Amino acid sequence: MAEIVLAYAASHAPMMAAARDSAPEEQRKNFFGALEWLRDEARERDVQAVVILSNEHFTNFFLENFPQICIGVGERNWGPTEAWLPIAKAWIPGQPGLANHIARYTLDSGFDPAFSHLLELDHGVMTVYHELNPEMDLPLVPIVQNCAVYPLVPLRRSYEFGKALGEAVRTFDGLDRIAVVGAGGLSHWIGHPRVGDIEESFDRWFLEQLEEGSLDQVLDMPDAELELAGNGAHEIRSWLAIAGAVAPGTARTLAYEPIYPWITGMAVSHFETS
Amino acid sequence: MSLYQLHRCVWDSVRAASVSSSNAGSHFDVGRYDLTDEERKAFEDKDVAALYRIGLHPVLLNGFARASGFTRDDYRRVLEVFGTGEERTGRWQK
Repeated sequence: MAEIVLAYAASHAPMMAAARDSAPEEQRKNFFGALEWLRDEARERDVQAVVILSNEHFTNFFLENFPQICIGVGERNWGPTEAWLPIAKAWIPGQPGLANHIARYTLDSGFDPAFSHLLELDHGVMTVYHELNPEMDLPLVPIVQNCAVYPLVPLRRSYEFGKALGEAVRTFDGLDRIAVVGAGGLSHWIGHPRVGDIEESFDRWFLEQLEEGSLDQVLDMPDAELELAGNGAHEIRSWLAIAGAVAPGTARTLAYEPIYPWITGMAVSHFETS
Repeated sequence: MSLYQLHRCVWDSVRAASVSSSNAGSHFDVGRYDLTDEERKAFEDKDVAALYRIGLHPVLLNGFARASGFTRDDYRRVLEVFGTGEERTGRWQK
């Protein structure tokens, strides 16, 4: 059976790749230093595949059919789709065995994820994946969640899906060492008059809840309240899914930097995986 | 006609400029969409404020603004007229 040997979550602003140097040096150093440490951990633990949860930005799906959760089960996926994102456009190897096992297991657990044999991966997955594996040869199971178009999956439901995801990974017998990663958030606004603002008090509070392992206040939050931290704050669903996947393990904040040139509260948290 | 048509128009136009695994979305013709005169003008003029006022989804507005050459500072200035204040508070605010 497989083991989750590494679990973390990180923010995923496109500017972390497209305008890397626009961030103040100290902030940049702290944020990327955390990701570099995690990359080293992945190598140290000889990770064989990674599951990355991110959110859909109208890259694959549109209003005719917008799945709340979609698992990339294909042999390969493509990314990044943004012409201006300075990451090589490439076919990224999938892990169909693991992906289909996750789909089957979560279906049997009361969830109804969609699946895709070809996901187009935008900055949401690709920035974080590229930092983990610059060679882009590590098998990847992408999972995208709806964090943008109402009605959204309740926060608690994302956490519960993460629990099923964690159990799915731990019952997969095709690999031994798997990483699970959440990508997105924290506070930010896009397409909105407050674009550029960061709700630092929300970000610090959210990270504290993860560290204390006391998530009820987060999981019970209505979407309208969460949106006071920005319409991009809905992306914390990916973080909550990772928290669920490794529960009751708690998180340690490796970095938090409100990087205004990147319009986002940029954080990296590492989760216990005992 | 409906707001859906405007969303579809903007989505298709943004996708036409993306680097997807195929070129299927690369032909874009605004004439294919059943837009109101106001919607068509806002789209063709790249009028971010008008698109926001009409109700274009913010994720699409962000992508469209970027594809149209706006920086975020540019479009924040354009959108600020709609207000940035917020009286409600979240549970994290003491």
